Amino acid sequence: MNLLLEIVFENGLLLDAFGIIGLGLLGLAAVKLTRRYQSWGGTMMAFGAVSLLVARLYFLLSPHFVNSDFLAAIGPVGISLTYALPPLLLTFGLAGIVWGLWGHERWLNQETR
Amino acid sequence: MTYEKFVCWEMNYGNCLPLGSIEAIRPVFMIVMGIFLMVIAWRLCKCTAGWTARLIAAGALLLGVGYAVILPLYDAGFIERISPAGRYHGSAATAVAWHAVKLVAMNSGWLLFGLGLAMHAKVFATPSPRRKTTSPALSPHESVA
Repeated sequence: MNLLLEIVFENGLLLDAFGIIGLGLLGLAAVKLTRRYQSWGGTMMAFGAVSLLVARLYFLLSPHFVNSDFLAAIGPVGISLTYALPPLLLTFGLAGIVWGLWGHERWLNQETR
Repeated sequence: MTYEKFVCWEMNYGNCLPLGSIEAIRPVFMIVMGIFLMVIAWRLCKCTAGWTARLIAAGALLLGVGYAVILPLYDAGFIERISPAGRYHGSAATAVAWHAVKLVAMNSGWLLFGLGLAMHAKVFATPSPRRKTTSPALSPHESVA
């Protein structure tokens, strides 16, 4: 295999950690924007960042703890939730981040005008 | 639409996804969101300067490519997903390479975008320990007597 591809795959966990760190920073920045500047977009952005973070952490961690015992313990409703919730969280998280960013940008433009 | 009508419709128009279904909406939603993210980040960059603007723009571009191009291509089936068992219909190297591109674009995109926004929100700005002591300057009109 190509050396570059090998490096990317050896450090797959590192790359995922980069993504998680970035989302955490995004959430932190959103909370800070909300608390300091009372920018309403920050709330939406924080909500989106947290839901994306939860979905991504679930995708990363689920191979390690989801087995047949776990699935039997949570029952059919829980199993359908594990299928339905992560895509929903991903979709609405992205929407929240973009909406919040838009709100913050509008607020910033009104402020500087 | 009832089931019989749907089957008839499917027979007429071929075996493609109905345009209003969730499976068809999600890639479209992702394309719209990716483009919107790039446009808004570009407008946000006009209010900032220096490395903050560069980080936000770079992250938004990577995320825009990831959400508007790569993920819809995956959903449409143009790119084969990576399979841990090693069974591929097409070329395995292509699937591996696209997986690497997706990993790098999405993760570094979120990292750069988060860093830029954190710098924009002044998360890292610590209050400087040597604060300027505002010495009460003598006003020029103070009476000396």
